[in-house]
Amino acid sequence: MAPQAPGRKSAKRKQSEDDEEIAPPQQELHSTGVLEMLSDEEDEGDASSDDGEVDDFPEIVNESDSDDSGFDEEEDEEDEDEENESESDADSDDSLHVFPKAKTVTSEITNQPKIVYPEIEPNYDSDSSTEDTPNRVGNVPMHWYDDLPHIGYDINGKKVLRPARGDELDKFLATVDDSSAWTSAFDKNTQSEKPLTPEELDLIRRLYTNENPDSTYDPYEPTTEWFTGKGKEEVMPLSGALQPKRRWVPSKWEKQKVMKIVRAIRHGRILPSKPKSSSKFEPFAIWSEPSSSHPPPLPAPKPALPTNAESYNPPAEYLPTEEERKAWESLDPEDRERNYLPQKYSSLRLVPAYDRFVKERFFRQLDLYLAPRVQRVKLNIDPNSLIPKLPSPSSLKPFPNYRSLQFHHSNSRARCISVSPDGAWVVSGDENGNVSLWEIIVGREVKRWKFEGKIGSLAWCPRTDVSYFAVGIEDTIHFIIPPNVDPVVLSLTRTILAPATLPPAPTAPSPVKWVTPPSASWSLDTPILTINLTASTGMPTHFCWHRRGDYLASVSTGGIQGGVWIHQITRRHSQAPFKKIKGTVQSVLFHPLKPHFFVATQQYIRIYNLSEQKLVKTLLPGIKWISSMDVHPSGDHLIVGGYDRKLCWFDLELSEKPYKVLRYHSRAIRSLQFHPTYPLFASSSDDGSIQIFHSRVYNDLMTDPLIVPLKILRGHQITDGLGVLQVKWCGKNPWLVSSAADGSVAVWCS
Amino acid sequence: MGRLRVKGKAGAAKNYTTRSAAVKKLQCSLADFRRLCILKGIFPREPRSRKKANKGSSAPTSFYYTKDIAYLAHEPILKKLREHKAFAKKLSRALGRGEWSSAKSLEENKPVYRLDHIIKERYPTFIDAIRDIDDALCMVFLFASLPSNSRLPSELVENCARLAAEWQLYVMHSKSLRKVFLSIKGVYYQAEIMDQTVTWLVPYLFTQNVPADVDIRVMLTFLELYQTLLSFVFFKLYTDSGLVYPPPLDAKKDEDGAGVDAFDLQDNTRQSTNKMTKVTEVDGRQITSKVVRQTIKSIASDANADAADVDMSNPESLEADVEEEEEFVPRASATDKTVTAALPTLQTLSTLPQTLSTGLFSPYTFFLSRETPRPIFEFVVRSFGGRIGWPSSSGSGSPYDETDPSITHIIIDRPLVEKEETTEQRELRLRRKFVQPQWIIDCINAGKILLEDTYAQGKPLPPHLSPFGEYEGAYIPSADSANVEAMEDEEEEEDNEMIADDEDDKTRDILEAVTAAASEETSLRAAELAAEAAGVDFGAFEATVKKANKSQSKRSKNDPIEEAEQDMNKMMMSNKQKKLYEKMKYSNQKKEAERNDLESKKKELTKQKRKEGRA
Repeated sequence: MAPQAPGRKSAKRKQSEDDEEIAPPQQELHSTGVLEMLSDEEDEGDASSDDGEVDDFPEIVNESDSDDSGFDEEEDEEDEDEENESESDADSDDSLHVFPKAKTVTSEITNQPKIVYPEIEPNYDSDSSTEDTPNRVGNVPMHWYDDLPHIGYDINGKKVLRPARGDELDKFLATVDDSSAWTSAFDKNTQSEKPLTPEELDLIRRLYTNENPDSTYDPYEPTTEWFTGKGKEEVMPLSGALQPKRRWVPSKWEKQKVMKIVRAIRHGRILPSKPKSSSKFEPFAIWSEPSSSHPPPLPAPKPALPTNAESYNPPAEYLPTEEERKAWESLDPEDRERNYLPQKYSSLRLVPAYDRFVKERFFRQLDLYLAPRVQRVKLNIDPNSLIPKLPSPSSLKPFPNYRSLQFHHSNSRARCISVSPDGAWVVSGDENGNVSLWEIIVGREVKRWKFEGKIGSLAWCPRTDVSYFAVGIEDTIHFIIPPNVDPVVLSLTRTILAPATLPPAPTAPSPVKWVTPPSASWSLDTPILTINLTASTGMPTHFCWHRRGDYLASVSTGGIQGGVWIHQITRRHSQAPFKKIKGTVQSVLFHPLKPHFFVATQQYIRIYNLSEQKLVKTLLPGIKWISSMDVHPSGDHLIVGGYDRKLCWFDLELSEKPYKVLRYHSRAIRSLQFHPTYPLFASSSDDGSIQIFHSRVYNDLMTDPLIVPLKILRGHQITDGLGVLQVKWCGKNPWLVSSAADGSVAVWCS
Repeated sequence: MGRLRVKGKAGAAKNYTTRSAAVKKLQCSLADFRRLCILKGIFPREPRSRKKANKGSSAPTSFYYTKDIAYLAHEPILKKLREHKAFAKKLSRALGRGEWSSAKSLEENKPVYRLDHIIKERYPTFIDAIRDIDDALCMVFLFASLPSNSRLPSELVENCARLAAEWQLYVMHSKSLRKVFLSIKGVYYQAEIMDQTVTWLVPYLFTQNVPADVDIRVMLTFLELYQTLLSFVFFKLYTDSGLVYPPPLDAKKDEDGAGVDAFDLQDNTRQSTNKMTKVTEVDGRQITSKVVRQTIKSIASDANADAADVDMSNPESLEADVEEEEEFVPRASATDKTVTAALPTLQTLSTLPQTLSTGLFSPYTFFLSRETPRPIFEFVVRSFGGRIGWPSSSGSGSPYDETDPSITHIIIDRPLVEKEETTEQRELRLRRKFVQPQWIIDCINAGKILLEDTYAQGKPLPPHLSPFGEYEGAYIPSADSANVEAMEDEEEEEDNEMIADDEDDKTRDILEAVTAAASEETSLRAAELAAEAAGVDFGAFEATVKKANKSQSKRSKNDPIEEAEQDMNKMMMSNKQKKLYEKMKYSNQKKEAERNDLESKKKELTKQKRKEGRA
């Protein structure tokens, strides 16, 4: 390779120097290859490793192709190839049958079979190396040519161009067209598919089935006997040494060992055959020894003893009827109360075998080892003893007992009622806007007022020296003086509701307007005073007077703004006590003794101190939607009713949780009230009933309040799912007034 | 600050183990675990909260006490089971290699476990064992009647049959049988042994087949335990009553089908004279335990004989007694309903000491007709001191021939057939009583000899009732006569009212007064006197009182006011109480409904019968 260097450009000198350094070992290698006849693999491995080191080698080869030395090299390589191939041919002669098969011929001379190979004719075809392999790059990694247009060089040093390879679709079509496609493999050297020869296929098959790759190999060749058999015996001994004595004298030590065993057997120390472990089980007195101190495990419960129904000849009434039999058969076996049907046989000889006998035994055993056992205390008490013993209602009289009279509002729901503080008059309002005044004893209407819109609530002023009541309709509250009032009372009432000199206007202006018509137009039919609440506050549904009769709290619902207002009559001033309240207010109450104010939202009840202006307590009744509440006259107890049928009794001194929760109404509770003087309270519900309770409260803190259900009053009809909408006690008597959705207002007397 | 509590380290999470965890811990297969549980009597427990016991998971699984599992882990049987597993591997290996001799020697030395320590653990005292042999007896009797096949080796069946026979022999010997009940499932027997009632169920004599959906392995494991338990129990019972255990089996007799008789009950002392016998000297005389026992026995038998003598001497009086008793019941019940409920229980109580006279059948000799099942009746009759013979078709060894003159009863289950007979046969027939098998059982349950006439051959039998009784307040079929009478009374009353119109006003006034006064005792007495003075018939008086009482009780039953009050008081019950109340009410109502149903059915049946009778 030395002459290559001068022909090269100066720029590539350094590189050529490198080549020179590398080239000698290659030459050496080739020479050794020729000399020592290394095997293929080694040669290849070396070559590839050498090639790997040289990066630009192909280029140089390309240039030096015309050089003689290069040609020599090629020739050398070719020779080598030839030799290798002939070697491999010789090898493959046996295995692959690329060449004609060897024949087994019986030799005429020895009469032994011998293998005869066909003659090799040294003609042109005999050398496989002449078969045209277009690519002559040798065994170099073909990825070197990956991004080149050619794939190597032919014998003349011409580039062999990469054959055109179609895309996947072409490949697929090729497989479809060519029936031999599945037996062809990709040849790296030619970069194309090459069909496998039948020999190769056979080789693959043999490898695949774990057979010997050599097809001629016979694993079951008959053995050739060399030394055994007739006529092959060795007559002469192999060695002439004398036989040792131990070969023909019995062993003393062996004898001693045997004798030892014999003696042991004679003495019975060794049993010739061990007596079989007696599988026969022999019982013994197991309970003769004292038992351990452990308590015995609980015995399994015994199955129930058979009853009359199981008899083979039961009384006729035990036999099932046809329906019972069908019902029993249609049930799942697990659900059946008895696992058999009673049957009657006239005599014992007719009784058949019980077909479920084995199964029942089996189930019993499953129970014994699979069923968890729980020791249960069986209560053997009269269920009626569980009902609490309460004093009889007859001993707790008086309480409303019967309906004494009924008053009707035509064609509308009687929403609200109010009883005058002296207990003689009732006003009731309905959804048509009618307010009726009638006497509680007679039940005859004395006066009727007609308003626009529904009447939301009515409340009679609790003062006894004046007489008027408030009527709440949409956005307004009217104050009305009933007819036939004592002139003294009338004049006082007028001075309070419409004083000649108006009180000074409050410092903070209020959006609520107090309107009094001029005194000339006063009549019994029109209200003497009207409070115009701000627009769209909704209908006042709940009124609550302070016990002195000066303050009136109103709760409006349905409007946009939350509407709790406290109106002061003497100062003609309304104020909203809360700027903002969480939740919609359902009801409010003044504490009967303290300056406390109860506010019930949907789920909570908050108690505020009005003088200190702060929250005192929050009660958690656990009701989804509170409908109404009332405070006991003593001020220590509170009852709360909800639309979810619950009634909670709170002891305000005790806890924020209810002392007692009762659920007895079948529909929502609408209204409840404590009687101001008697120990009674009543609740009304949408189920159309009114429930009267006796509620005795003790002064000492130790005794719990006594609550006794007294009477369920029924008589109102349920209309549109609504029942009794409001109940009110008559102040001095144990009488109850109730208004219902069917338009009736009833008075219940004791 | 208290100690930090780690979840799942204490309480239910620690005390309970799931089954899969237990199997993992014991390192045995599920089948071995099941076997262990059966043998050791360990069963799942129900934790109060399944979630807490199972690390927050509520998946359905069974729980065991962790301590139970720890106790199983030390079980010698578990070791043996593991050895057996190794043995099975070795054996299959030897068989696979065709090493027959080593396989044989392996098979000979195969690990076998014993269950005696388990018996001792589970039943520390003998009484505990007696208390728990019900299931064991049922199983042994069942398997004694099963056909043997590849899964049920014949030795097993034979052993079960032997145990069953031994038990019957002991019960017959000790005369401890108390009650018998012929049910559609089989025959229930109840014996009293060492003050413990033992009840077992024996299937009728048909070949039972093991259904496919029954896991025979479970049953065989149980049977393994039960066989061991029973042999220990029988050993103790036999030796305590001075008998040899196991009783030697006469193979020839067994082949002839002698049944229980194939076993020979041998007295312990007779055989073991060479053994040490307990000898005490009293008054210079040697008294062996045998002598003591014999004396006791003789005394007892004397007492029995006495009783029998009394029975024999005046059978008429006995029958009269029976009749009286039978009459007494309805009369008492007719007067008042509440008494009827009490009376049968009293009667059942009084039967207990009666049944203790175990020599009920001792004066009689029975002969079984060929269609009656011999094993049942031989066992029953001999347990109550009777003598019994059977035809050769029922097995050999009958002590009596059919023509034996000492036979008093023939148990026959055939319809009556008219046939010609010689005078001899006729005489023989007249001398004997032919009864249906139910008579024997009913006599035992009643504790006395009942009249044979109702059970005579070919007659429709009276209903066979359970001697074990029912729950309290259940429908009692024997009290039905009271209802019938009540119904009759009602009808009579209707008739009486017709007649009463004829009577003068005075009596009627008085009767009305009686109705008013029926509630109070003193006023009732006064009314009675007044009625007598007025010359009212006593029967009429009684009827009026009864009627008044009835109407009053009805009135008091559904007092609307009180009920309403109670309903209102229910409002004040707590939720828990309310639920409990509802549950109790429900179960009571169910019982009541069942009872009412039976009563109404009975009423209808009697009505129908009467109609048929009239027509």
